[in-house]
Amino acid sequence: MKRIILIGIIAFTTGLGACKKALEVDPQQNIKAEDAIKNEQDVKALVIGCYSIMGGGALYGTNLLMLPDLQASEGYCSWRGTFQSYRQVANKSLIRDNTEANRTWTAAYRAINNANLVLTNLDKVTDVDNRKLYEGEALFVRGVLLFELTRLYGGGFDPLTANAQLGAVIKNTPTTDEAGAFAAIPRSTVAQNYTQVIADLTTAVTKLPDENGTRVNRFTALAFLSRVYLQKSDFINARNAANTIIGSGYYGLNPVPTAVFTNKNTKESIWEIQQNDQNNAGNSNDGMATFYASLPGIGRADVRMSTAFINAFYEPTDARYDGWYYVGTGARPGNTYCSKWNAFEQNLPIVRIAEMYLIRAECNRRLGTNLGDTPENDLDVVRSRSRASFIAAPTLTDILNERRRELAFEGIRIHDIKRLKSATGSFPWNDNKLVLPIPQREIDATSGVLVQNPGY
Amino acid sequence: MRRSFLFLLGLFLLTAQAALAQTKTVTGKITDVKDGAPIAGASIQVKDSKAGTTTANDGSFSITLPANATTLIIAAIGYEKQEVRISGNTVQVALKAGEARNIDEVIVVGYGTRVKRDVTSSISRVTSKDFQNLPLPSFEQALQGRASGVFINTGSGKLGQGLNIRVRGISSISANQQPFVVIDGVPVVSQSLGSSTEPDNPLATLNPDDIESVEVLKDASSAAIYGSRASNGVLLITTKGGKQGRSKLNVGYYTGWSEPTRKQKFLNATQYKELFTAAATNAGYVAEDEFRDNTGTEDWASTNNTNWADQAFQKGYVRQYNISLTGGDARTKFLLSGSFNDQKGIIIGNRLTRATGRLNIDHNINNRFKAGANLSLTQSNNYRVPSDNAFSNPLQLNALPPLHPLLDASGQSNNATLYYNNLIEQEGNNRNLNKTYRTISNLYAEWAIQPNLRFRTQVGIDWNNLQENQFLGRRTLDGAPEGYSYDNQVTASVLTTTNTLAWNNKYGDHSIDALGGIEYQRGISSGASVEGRAFASDKFTKIANAAIISNGSSSETQFRFMSYFTRANYKFKNKYLLGASFRVDGSSRFGKDKQYGVFPAASVGWILSEENFLRNSNFLSFLKLRSSYGRTGNAEIGNFSALSLYGSAAYANIAGLVTTQIGIPNLTWENTDQFDIGLDFSILKNRISFEVDYFSKNTKDLLLAVPVPATNGYTTVVKNIGDMTNKGFDFTMNATILRGTGFNWTTSFNISTYKNEVTRLVAPVPPGGRTVGRLAVGAPFGQFFGRKYMGVDPANGDALYLAANGTTTNDYSAAIDTEIGDPNPDFYGGWNNKFSYKGFDLDVQCQFVKGGDLFNIAGIFQSVNGDYFDNQTTDQLNYWKKPGDVTNIPQPRLYDGNGAGKSSRWVQDGSYFRIKSLNFGYNFPVKWLKKAKIESARLYVAGQNLATFTKYKGYDPEVNATYVSNVNLGHDFYTPPQARTITIGVNLGF
Repeated sequence: MKRIILIGIIAFTTGLGACKKALEVDPQQNIKAEDAIKNEQDVKALVIGCYSIMGGGALYGTNLLMLPDLQASEGYCSWRGTFQSYRQVANKSLIRDNTEANRTWTAAYRAINNANLVLTNLDKVTDVDNRKLYEGEALFVRGVLLFELTRLYGGGFDPLTANAQLGAVIKNTPTTDEAGAFAAIPRSTVAQNYTQVIADLTTAVTKLPDENGTRVNRFTALAFLSRVYLQKSDFINARNAANTIIGSGYYGLNPVPTAVFTNKNTKESIWEIQQNDQNNAGNSNDGMATFYASLPGIGRADVRMSTAFINAFYEPTDARYDGWYYVGTGARPGNTYCSKWNAFEQNLPIVRIAEMYLIRAECNRRLGTNLGDTPENDLDVVRSRSRASFIAAPTLTDILNERRRELAFEGIRIHDIKRLKSATGSFPWNDNKLVLPIPQREIDATSGVLVQNPGY
Repeated sequence: MRRSFLFLLGLFLLTAQAALAQTKTVTGKITDVKDGAPIAGASIQVKDSKAGTTTANDGSFSITLPANATTLIIAAIGYEKQEVRISGNTVQVALKAGEARNIDEVIVVGYGTRVKRDVTSSISRVTSKDFQNLPLPSFEQALQGRASGVFINTGSGKLGQGLNIRVRGISSISANQQPFVVIDGVPVVSQSLGSSTEPDNPLATLNPDDIESVEVLKDASSAAIYGSRASNGVLLITTKGGKQGRSKLNVGYYTGWSEPTRKQKFLNATQYKELFTAAATNAGYVAEDEFRDNTGTEDWASTNNTNWADQAFQKGYVRQYNISLTGGDARTKFLLSGSFNDQKGIIIGNRLTRATGRLNIDHNINNRFKAGANLSLTQSNNYRVPSDNAFSNPLQLNALPPLHPLLDASGQSNNATLYYNNLIEQEGNNRNLNKTYRTISNLYAEWAIQPNLRFRTQVGIDWNNLQENQFLGRRTLDGAPEGYSYDNQVTASVLTTTNTLAWNNKYGDHSIDALGGIEYQRGISSGASVEGRAFASDKFTKIANAAIISNGSSSETQFRFMSYFTRANYKFKNKYLLGASFRVDGSSRFGKDKQYGVFPAASVGWILSEENFLRNSNFLSFLKLRSSYGRTGNAEIGNFSALSLYGSAAYANIAGLVTTQIGIPNLTWENTDQFDIGLDFSILKNRISFEVDYFSKNTKDLLLAVPVPATNGYTTVVKNIGDMTNKGFDFTMNATILRGTGFNWTTSFNISTYKNEVTRLVAPVPPGGRTVGRLAVGAPFGQFFGRKYMGVDPANGDALYLAANGTTTNDYSAAIDTEIGDPNPDFYGGWNNKFSYKGFDLDVQCQFVKGGDLFNIAGIFQSVNGDYFDNQTTDQLNYWKKPGDVTNIPQPRLYDGNGAGKSSRWVQDGSYFRIKSLNFGYNFPVKWLKKAKIESARLYVAGQNLATFTKYKGYDPEVNATYVSNVNLGHDFYTPPQARTITIGVNLGF
């Protein structure tokens, strides 16, 4: 009897252990990599993932739109908030491990990795049109982010030199295992960066359709190409790309200048980052409205506009004078703020058709051509919408000033300063302090394969 | 000491004898029953009288006593008290050695119990006697200063907040560092469940009065039986059980008041204006204009003088009601208890209530079968304080300029302030309530297959449900513009089944016991949350009334463990001890290539005092040498760290797929090999006992998030790659200084050290944004690293920093990073004294930490010579004013950052000595109580954190801001101090 019971106990206890599935648990909120990308739907989801990362505060959700204006803060705006990282950007007192430099770099390569995963999994897309579409979108993502990185972290592009100064890292393959995650890739030169950017965007133009809902299409790629060429002072190609977009007829200016910011996906937008109540770049510590707005319950009012700039650049009758600037009523009230960024859930226009008119005008003026239309007319398209006065036979300065007016606080300013070889305050366009530091962690993680920028 | 005692006693007796009248004389001799040796200094007292004397060196005495005296009470330190009837004129008494031999204690070990004498490992024990009736926010605080080798940092004065418990140093970097907690054999969830950035403490749901003892398993041989979860030590909590005999009803009540242990001093309005006028002028600004510009107010010109810092605090209270019924007969024993505890914190808005119920029952079915259960149910409500780093943290009020009025013109909290005036959150329906429902229960059955072979099966469950409920109205920072409500529910349950077979036997001089077991554990945690905005008015707080459901989520995660373990102990001739244990743990958390881990341990002990050459020593009563070596693991590595994963990410209304981690298939637990050597000895008939241990822990395979180039799309890859060592001593001394019929005094002192060193990393982990803690090979965990502040240049008032080659520089960016502190203590410990005299007893517990640097992050804002408009600590007034001034405070320059960069300027020595608790009570004499049919009655006054001696200038040197990562030990960021609490209470037994 005793023996039987003993055997029973042993059988019972070992029986429990013998259950093979006892230790098998799959995650509920994530998918194991081997199960993640199996079909067309999964590849499409990867594409959307790229947009999601780009819409975050580290990229177009905040930093890619805000840093270029903060870097050019002199006589233009000032940083009043408690975030030291942004204060350093505005004051040009950046340190090697500046949080913003760090997170923008990191997020951009995370999106690029997602894009590279799309490109290597295209064989799982059976629909031919979709395959082209996803390829175009992935190339777009890789191209524009490399462009943003080289503009921010590389020495300014100077058409008079070989541009052998260091730019960003070019990464064209996805990371799928431990070895790949540890690979140390050196920085390429700015010239190599631009070659890669143009290659990606040019191919994207050939792959993307004219219409793609709220995601990027052929004209979005062209708009960025136009920006890239302009940054290189390649005025012919910049003009041609802008001209193609304007000529397509898909886009046009809204009747009032505020509409593009207060409404979603208006005809003025070539591309917007989509946001809603739930999914946006942030509403307390991140996001454009968080930093710019001073409305009851909205915004920290951290970026304050210089009234000197506004008074010097806008006529009082200009619809943009009242439409885009206001006296704050929320945080740090009583000062002047920019109303382009006033709601957490607003879409973020990244490229507007107004900019294309201004690029075409500038390039035509510089080249002495009238491709598409005269600089005078193109300038007036932008100005008359805001009831600004007509400028007959505008000079280059007139057009460049219009860029400052029209594109203020949309992430353009420091890039213009650099390509125009101008200065912000006492910092000349090629000052080391106008180039973001390579995150110190990158230099440590690659044991110095990545080289720090001069001045850090 | 003994001499002064005798003197006092003699004095006492002299005065007593003066009152005597009709007398007789008795003489005699007191000896030791064991060897007949005379006992000197034994006290002889006449029962129910004050008359008494003591024995001479030869044990003899002579006493004059009243003619009607019938009984003498004989007592001597180290012996049992004895009563002798007086018959004739001589008395001969032989005393037996006393009961105070703690080596006979039965202590709880993993899956069993053991007599302390036979233990060959290192275990600290704290029993209910040590902490009953103290107003403890949670029971772990009872270990502080009482258990050697256990370093506890309460972190803050927030109620129900997670606290740091480190057993013998720090044994992990990225996995959990807290000990494994087992309650009555059931492993429990001790990690925070809530969504707050600051951890809550699930163990705060336990009623400390239900706890009989807490054993801390410190070395490998005691802990390795818990295998892959024992690297951080193990806390074994045993709840009280019933006792055979008459049923006893105990009722207790205490109530008390609390206040902050310390407040900081900030500038008043006049001082504020002086400092900021100077700061603005020096930087070329006009103070009034800049103040207006930054605050949007005209308050610069006002006559307000608001003490904002004090607004963060309130007078707290605490009260507790508890009742318990115990009893039983030969077959059934039970304990039934209930308690209600209500604490109002010292920080505005903070309150914790806890209601508990418990039934512990053991029943012998017959002489072979036994079954029982420990059932508990707890409900607690915690009204929480926001994270240290939130503008809504009340302590951040101290940043507000004193020039702002407290209330606006309409009598509401003023919201036109430099930063958010979070007093607004104290208005109306605003709240942040965490409700917890929890049961930790088990059922067991035992079967004595043979008298020396027992099978035990136990099923335990820890079921913990947390409900978070937050509402913020439209005037609050996060509730604007139209109100915000958040609900979150998390349920974590751990089910454990344990089957063990225990056997023991004795063959002549050999005694053996052995244990084998198998354990399966399944943990599931799931939750759901929803967030709503836009309410018709602040009177609506439920999401049903929200116009916008702005967020919602649900989550689930699981883990499983399958374990096999065995242990054997062998004893020869009652003096040679040998022990070994072995555990195999498999877990769903471990990578496919390494799913099972092996955790062996062995120990030896030698009771030298049983050897002939020591047996008859008068001085030495007990001496045991012991040593152990073994391996433990740390499996708190996250449930899915070993897998490569994709997650989802939303883009407006669509969901996308993104990579989240690169996994490694051989990712597994962390290993710690620990060596321990210890000595237990007692002297003077066990009057003084010592425990000394040296330990050396080598932790390998530490899980580290290895930084990889972000250009590859990932920033880190988690690998088992780091090494770390902890070495140190634990020392405990217990002494009965005075013991006799009158005044009793026992003391207990412990001191511990650990020296941590990180010995292998992939790359140093530098300090983050505002923090200074880092990881580097050769440095202790969390070493402070950064710019070294070198004071002020007397010539121009510039802040100076250490530059290369030992020079100084006023250019922050040219300064070098260097070691600027160590947050680990040099040593720490406690000192406990218990006194009793007649019905009175006094228990004083002190606790101390030496070393352990602190970094006050808030200094960057509040002690920075007026760099921005935050109110400043008063010491900033001593700023540099003119060339030649020698001071440590740089010249104030508004916005200029003179001395504002993160540096050792805010590193301070965190040493402290604290009178942690005091309990003074009076037990009413039994004869009084009999009339009222009360068996026992005790009235007491108790205090917590009565006094703290420290050089630290912040609120409290026992601080650990938890919103920063765990590498940042000893960081303070507007962290509330602990409470000083005074309570009075009564316990009645019926």
